[in-house]
Amino acid sequence: MLTKRQTRAFFYASSGIFALIFLGLTVDAHRQVPTLTNEANNTPEVIAGKHVWHRKNCVNCHTLLGEGAYYAPDLTKITQQRGSAYLTAFLKDPTKFYSEERDRRIMPNQNLSDLEIRQVIAFLDWVSKINTQGWPPRPILVSGSATPGTEALAGPPRPAASNDPIALGQALFRTTTPGCFTCHSTTAGVTLVGPSLGNIATIAAQRIKDPNYHGKATDAASYIRESIADTSAYIVPGGSFSAGGTSFMPPGFGTSLTAQQIDELVAYLSTLR
Amino acid sequence: MRHRTQGVAYAYFVVALLLYGLQMVFGLLAISKYLGPDPIRDWLPFDRVKAIHTNLLIVWVLTGFMGATYWVVPEESRGELYSPKLAYWSLGLWTAAGVTAVVGYLFGWTEGNKLLEQPFPVKIAIVVVMLLFLYNIGMTIRKAGRLTTTEGVLVAGLALAAILYLPALVTFNNYTLSIYYRWWTVHLWVEGVWEMIQASLLAYLLIRLSGADREVMEKWLYVIVGLTFIAGILGTAHHYYWIGVPGYWLPIGGIFSALEPLAFFGMAVYAYSAIRRSGIAHPNRLALHWAIGSAIFSAFGAGILGLAHTWPSVNQWTHGTMITPMHGHMAFFGAYVMIVLAVITYALPQYFDYPEEHRESAAGLWAFWLQVSGMFGMTMAFAAAGITQTYLERILGIGYLDTQRKMQVHYLMLVGAGILFVLGVALYLYDFFVVAPRPVRADTRRHSTADIRAAEA
Repeated sequence: MLTKRQTRAFFYASSGIFALIFLGLTVDAHRQVPTLTNEANNTPEVIAGKHVWHRKNCVNCHTLLGEGAYYAPDLTKITQQRGSAYLTAFLKDPTKFYSEERDRRIMPNQNLSDLEIRQVIAFLDWVSKINTQGWPPRPILVSGSATPGTEALAGPPRPAASNDPIALGQALFRTTTPGCFTCHSTTAGVTLVGPSLGNIATIAAQRIKDPNYHGKATDAASYIRESIADTSAYIVPGGSFSAGGTSFMPPGFGTSLTAQQIDELVAYLSTLR
Repeated sequence: MRHRTQGVAYAYFVVALLLYGLQMVFGLLAISKYLGPDPIRDWLPFDRVKAIHTNLLIVWVLTGFMGATYWVVPEESRGELYSPKLAYWSLGLWTAAGVTAVVGYLFGWTEGNKLLEQPFPVKIAIVVVMLLFLYNIGMTIRKAGRLTTTEGVLVAGLALAAILYLPALVTFNNYTLSIYYRWWTVHLWVEGVWEMIQASLLAYLLIRLSGADREVMEKWLYVIVGLTFIAGILGTAHHYYWIGVPGYWLPIGGIFSALEPLAFFGMAVYAYSAIRRSGIAHPNRLALHWAIGSAIFSAFGAGILGLAHTWPSVNQWTHGTMITPMHGHMAFFGAYVMIVLAVITYALPQYFDYPEEHRESAAGLWAFWLQVSGMFGMTMAFAAAGITQTYLERILGIGYLDTQRKMQVHYLMLVGAGILFVLGVALYLYDFFVVAPRPVRADTRRHSTADIRAAEA
């Protein structure tokens, strides 16, 4: 049987060895962090945004890189799901976008200045590009669904929380007939039936410069408007989206929706960058 | 009390338990916000409540550790405390810093770094108190000229806890680095040096309560803390999976985290075999409840429930879900709350020089069983919520808000179990402050146990 002397030696040796290994690995990890986190882009604006993040105690409701509290959505990739226009409008007044009655909770208004909003969005954008070893393996969404067929589980469509055109458009996205959401995900890279609209505003701005584009749109907003009203004005490449030059998207939205409703949809979709 | 100056511990226990009670208020507030809607969100939002709930835990458990050390060290070293006055002054400073932090959080004064939210001046006060404490204890041991293994491990644990708090004073511009070093404090505390404290207090109590042989107990104590560090130091890696550090932390974290339950199981076996081999040699069975409870609950909460989500291919789905508080609540309760309550329960009758048998009060036993079953229920509620969230939100890809609405039933369960738990805490406080005997006159304390028994008969 072991003696006390031997067990003491075991304690000192094992603690010492593993502490040394840990310190050694830390030196190496610390050395690699600048590359893995794109340290060059950690600008003063991003750092100022990090201070906003800490000062407002964000981490005690939200998770970031999956760390924090579990009372509010993870924000690791939020800037890749919502553009800065949306996030700015949201931070100015969260009650315009979500309803406390429905979700049982809502973000209190943090009364951020325009500058602070810009900074914290810059910070979140920098975080969203950190090399996280592939985490999360599937997009973590704030609301809605990324998986075909599961929208129904999410419950009835949410009414718009305010008269803001973006909020109205977001609500309309789920209430049109047929519902936009049944074919289009708003998550980049997730294709349901039609093309993903995850970053449609960015794609639209590029597409109108594409030599294969022959429509009438002159900017991202007018492209989005055209693709709703005249579904075959431009055909997105991909066998499952069209046949014989005709888009599979139902053509009736130009007449079934009012001009104002289309404006609202365009306002909402333009925030998806 | 074998030594007059051990009595300093009582003041620490009073502060610790009052803060424990306050922690419950904020716990209940937090869970009520999950049920929502929240009428007070504009002046007391969830983030402040949550920060206060967790910070109160850390402060009161550390207060309990310090009190326990002031109790244990004079007895182990067989000498009086170096300076009781210094101990009272540092308790005053400590309480002031703690209360300042809590009031500050109410008004949004925070560094907003999870679990290390303490504003910089408060952090400095914490370091000062730790140093005063270590100085006082160090001088006591030096003066007495006797250092047992049990107290050595205890004091080393507290000294290392103070050292590991230092990274919390540094600010990093890179968020990844600030998370990286934050875990040096948080993880290496709770899955490293705090375990040394738990294991040594457990050893102290088992030696006192079971009559187990000191040599044998201290021999195995080294093995337990050795196992703790083998697994715990590199186990830090399970916090380094997805935060922007190299990928080699994934296999390291998976393997060494899987070893972490060993030390906790070691402690459970340690407690069981001590009782089995040496029987129960002490009438304070209530303290034994808490001591054995700590060994068993930490094996389950810290050991098994920790392992439940540290393997990388599991953690990629569970990371940042309700699975984490499932593990966190039971681990903290089992490992640290229960061991502090065990020492308090053990010390109280001796402090008042009262018959030990009288400690097995009905209120004391109810306090134990209500807390144990309440915490078990809360853990199950968190687990159900966490599994729901993992499958719906992370695997099926349903939005966070929509998933949360599906979890309301688990939050109701959490409220129910939480109320049981809080009742248990309230009874513990009632038992400590009201039921527990205290001298009516100043000279009662000098009465021997036999005198009191005779007077009662």
